[in-house]
This record gives sequence, structure tokens and C-alpha cells, in this order.
Amino acid sequence: MNDPTLIGPCAGYEHDLVELNDGALAPERASRVRLHVEHCARCRAWAGEFAALDARLAAELPRPQLSPAFDAQLRHRLASLSRPAVRGDQRAALQREHDSLIDALQRGARRRAVLGAVGSAASTLCALVAARSLLAQNAVLLAWVPEGPERWILLGAIGVAVAIGGLAWSTARTGMPVLGLGMAR
Amino acid sequence: MAMDAGIEQHLAAGRHARAFDLVVPAYKGRVFRLAYSILKERAAAEDATQETFVRIWKALPGFDGRAALGTWIYAITRNTCLMELRRRRPTVSFDDPDSTEAQHAAASIASGPAQDPEGDNLLRLVATLPRNQQEAVRLFYLEDRSYETVAEQLGMPLGTVKNLLHRARKRLMELACPDEVKAA
Repeated sequence: MNDPTLIGPCAGYEHDLVELNDGALAPERASRVRLHVEHCARCRAWAGEFAALDARLAAELPRPQLSPAFDAQLRHRLASLSRPAVRGDQRAALQREHDSLIDALQRGARRRAVLGAVGSAASTLCALVAARSLLAQNAVLLAWVPEGPERWILLGAIGVAVAIGGLAWSTARTGMPVLGLGMAR
Repeated sequence: MAMDAGIEQHLAAGRHARAFDLVVPAYKGRVFRLAYSILKERAAAEDATQETFVRIWKALPGFDGRAALGTWIYAITRNTCLMELRRRRPTVSFDDPDSTEAQHAAASIASGPAQDPEGDNLLRLVATLPRNQQEAVRLFYLEDRSYETVAEQLGMPLGTVKNLLHRARKRLMELACPDEVKAA
């Protein structure tokens, strides 16, 4: 069959014959077409050839099915899609934990620095008291120190220098950035 | 469709997960058959079906009901398949769909249909049709000869689908061996 087109008076029946074969023709029109086919050898032959092709297509075209694992695979994919949010949550939790750890370390370092400063002050005070009593017992040692308020200013300056030294030592040990010391740590 | 009404009720109430649980069993078969009719490979069609439902899952909260649910789902399916085709052959235009495949198939048939099994030969003939006719033919027989289903899935008017199928099958009658057809 080189050209399967129905020609002549039967040309208008081609679409009807196809829809009749497919079961898509309205009942009234289907009756009229069937009546025509009974009396028309050309249309009967055309409809027969079309039905044969239709049957072959229906039988031979592949009819694939979804694999049984489809639903499980889809669920797995959807679950994996929600993982980025979970990973984000985990990252946020780790960040919070890290921040609280840094905060605790800073609090601890601050506490040690304060204790160190208090200790330095106490040591200084003790040293001043001891120096005062030693000087009182050995007046000759005070011969070079001027009398009056200057004596106390001098002794106070020595005490302050000792306290600052103690505080610097404490700060350097704890790494606290107090007075600009220990910043490099 | 009654199932769609149930799904849309869940969507209207914001129960997207429940709606999706109903969408998958209701549509997975038809989405797969549509994907197969476009991609022509079972594994690729199944992958496209997975991808389609992932997209539906993401987009379902934004479904506004202006289009029918099925129309919306089939449009996503077609887009997914077209993206897959584009990914495979980025330099081939869809305006010239039957160029390579048709030439390969025609050359194969010309080289000797007697060497091929009969059924394989018919499938090769189908492969010579323009892409839109191939899709319509494959889908029509996968969907048990329902013009309406094919029209809905391909997003075409019913008359267009009837014309595509008519031209495709006439072309196959023309190409098929006349002796075999007459003998049937």
C-alpha cells in the first residue's frame, strides 16, 4: 500500500473508520458508518488493514512497568532532600556549643586574673607591713629616707610598683588581655 | 476525578504531606507512561518519574488550583522529560525532532527488513515518525486507546491528538509491508 488515503466518495469516511476501530465514534454515527462499510468493499479493505496495524501496535509496542522499588526509592530521595536542613541544625548546635565553650573559657580566665590581682594586692600589703615593721626596728635604714610625707610617698610608690609587677605576672600567666598584656596569646 | 477532589481538600487545608501521599499512588503510573512515551527508555522514564514527584513534593504547597491537578502534574512531567532530552542532546533542536532518529531507523529498514523480526521492524517504523506522533502513538496504546487521556497528558486539544494519531497510523500503513497487512 503506497498511499493509504481513501479517495472519491469514501474520503470522508477515513476518520470515522479510525474512530470506529478505536471505539470512540458516537453510537448514531457508528451505525451509519457500519452500514456504509457493509456495502463498500474499498472501505471494508481499508478498515481491515487499519485494524490489522492497530492490533500489531497494541501487541508489539512495549508496555513497561515501574519497578517494585519505586516507592521506596522515592521515599529515600525525599528523606535525603530534608537532610540539608538537618545538617544546618547540627551546624547551628555545634556553633552554639563552641560559643558557650569560648564564653566559659573567657569567664574562667577572667576569674583567674581577678584572683591573681587580689593575690598580688595581698602580697604587696603583706610586704609593705613587713617592710614597715622592719624599718621601725632598724631606724638606721631610714636615715637616707626623708622625714615627713615624702617618706610615705616613697614607700607607697615602692608598694604600687610591686603590685603592678604582681598583676603583670598574673596576667602573663593567664593570658588575659588586661592592660594590653598577653594579647599575643 | 474523585481522588483529585480528596487531594485538593487536603491541599486547601494545608495538609500537603497527606495530599502528596495520595498523589503518588494516583498518578505514578500515568506519569511513568507519559515519561516513557517521551523518553522511550524504561530506566530513563523511571528516573524522570522520580524527579517529577520530587518536584511535585517541592511545589505542592504552591499549587493554587487554577489548573486541574492532573494538568499541573503532567506539565511538570513533560518539562522534566524535555529537560532530560535537552541534557542528552544539547545541540539538537526540538523543532527538527525526526532528523537523527528517523534517518537511523529509515536506513536500518532500507538495509533489510527481512533480517529483523517482524515486531522489531514495526517498532523501527514507529521510530521513523516525527517525535510528537511517536509520543501520541506510544501513549495511546499504553493508555488503552483513550484519546482523552492522551490529550490531557500531552496538554493538547482532543482534535489535535486525533489528527496526530490518524496521520501517524496512516504513515505506518504506508510504510508497512502491504502483503503482511493484507494477509492479516
